[in-house]
Amino acid sequence: MRLGFIGLGVMGRPMALHLLQAGHQVAVWARRSVSCEPLLAAGALHCASAAAVAGYAEVVFTMVTAGADVEHLTLGADGLLAGFAPGSILVDMSTIAPQTAHSLAERLSRSGVDMLDAPVSGGEQGAIAATLAIMVGGKAAVLERVRPLFALLGRSVVHVGGHGAGQVAKVCNQMLMVAAIQAVAEALHLSRAAGADPARVRQALAGGSAGSRVLEVMGGKMVDRDFVAGVEARLHHKDYRIVIGEAHRLGIPLPVAAQVDQQLNALMAMGWGRADTASLLRVLEAGGECS
Amino acid sequence: MKIGFIGLGIMGRPMALNLLHGGHPLTVWARRAESMQPLLDAGADAAASPAEVAKGVDVVISMVADAPDVEQVMLGERGVASAGRSGLIAVDMSTIRPAAARDIGTRLLAQGIDFLDAPVSGGEVGAIAGTLSIMVGGTVSAFDRARPAFACMGRNIVHVGDAGAGQVAKAANQIVTGVGVLTVAEALNFAARSGVDPARVREALLGGFAYSKILENHGQRMLDRNFKPGFKSWMHQKDMNIVMQSAHELGLCLPVSAATAQMYNAMVGSGLGEEDSIAILKLLERLSGGERET
Repeated sequence: MRLGFIGLGVMGRPMALHLLQAGHQVAVWARRSVSCEPLLAAGALHCASAAAVAGYAEVVFTMVTAGADVEHLTLGADGLLAGFAPGSILVDMSTIAPQTAHSLAERLSRSGVDMLDAPVSGGEQGAIAATLAIMVGGKAAVLERVRPLFALLGRSVVHVGGHGAGQVAKVCNQMLMVAAIQAVAEALHLSRAAGADPARVRQALAGGSAGSRVLEVMGGKMVDRDFVAGVEARLHHKDYRIVIGEAHRLGIPLPVAAQVDQQLNALMAMGWGRADTASLLRVLEAGGECS
Repeated sequence: MKIGFIGLGIMGRPMALNLLHGGHPLTVWARRAESMQPLLDAGADAAASPAEVAKGVDVVISMVADAPDVEQVMLGERGVASAGRSGLIAVDMSTIRPAAARDIGTRLLAQGIDFLDAPVSGGEVGAIAGTLSIMVGGTVSAFDRARPAFACMGRNIVHVGDAGAGQVAKAANQIVTGVGVLTVAEALNFAARSGVDPARVREALLGGFAYSKILENHGQRMLDRNFKPGFKSWMHQKDMNIVMQSAHELGLCLPVSAATAQMYNAMVGSGLGEEDSIAILKLLERLSGGERET
């Protein structure tokens, strides 16, 4: 199939490679053309604009940072919309606000273009290993057309609901995961302050009902004091703005998420935005130093 | 001084009336024509658009709901800027994000229009009595020129700093009042659920270090169970959202404001949005095992 892929960062690059290696033709474009090079070396086709990618491909994937990027990429000058033929499909795998995904899908449908919001969980490792969890919003029939492609990128593909529903699931995913990272950081911080070895505490907890993936992976990084990103904390900070924005929009209380958000703000202020979110432990430790 | 006024709601209407009473010729515009009638009856002129308001005045004031509205009336189609009147002073008295105010100010300045952000505190009562607190951001020269207009509407008029500084002060004001109303409600609910008369507790606290205007005024209205607005809780929810959005942009830890914002979310979501922000007491009562009979 003729595919397009825009957004060749830490996540996008391995994902686009999987599509290419499965025998699909993949057209790419990036603002900085140097980002395209690993893909071109593997046989991808270079386009001069997003519109050209859309003109070439039946299905275009986007994997960029923020809602504004997706909007600009789609609706801006020389954007995807300018190149899409009716019947094309846009699959946005970025993490953006559900509302933004919803309104983009509506805008595209007026031009006969279908859209899926399909954010992922699993991080860089999951992207490389093709084991991502993919959460899909949009029409079931469109998902069925794209499903064979998703199968090349991830292990779990769940059709959550209509346009924006994939992003709702992703919001929940981020809310739970970062809150869990904060909880693990607090537990390990308490352990150390109380004179117990955090590594042993983590080991003891792993077997019981507090055991979790976050305790295992992020707790491990905290114990090792390895704060090199995995996922950069600034991205979780960005996602939490969506969480808190949704709480406001829907008129629902999210008291724990609101507190986690404040710890993320503090993390950003301390200059750890490009470090791992395990740095939430360091925020707690910094608070202790003040007193 | 010829003044234009855009946005004649609960706050805007009495503020505009006070400008008229102060002897300033006034031109008004509102999205809904019927909102203009009380002002026209009092001697104001009607305009067909914000641009037309801007044509014949020295100062144009907006008092609308949120940043997109300000942007629309100032910079949109048939907006204030499209009148092409350089030397005009545009004053926005709505409560919007500081960053949005700075952006609007910069864009107006590029068209030769001076901008002041001048949000207010004091509510409908203060607007009617002409006793608002006005917090102003922008250049000193624009502030000095607009001061006679401010003097008709408010009593405590402070030039806080450059463009956006007025909105920063207003956001800080909303932190103190938003959190303050919640803490007074928590204290009175705590007293009542502990089997002690909350009216006596309020009275006892008024003499000490916990004294505040909010304990005095809002506290009394909580005891009276008078939930009529006043200041509607959906507006406080909006303002807390401005605070939290700014905290996100700046990388600021505001744990108490964050908790308070969630309580206002819950109020709006559970149908208390149109009631005064003191109805947060009802929410606390529900969360504490049932609302008191009113």
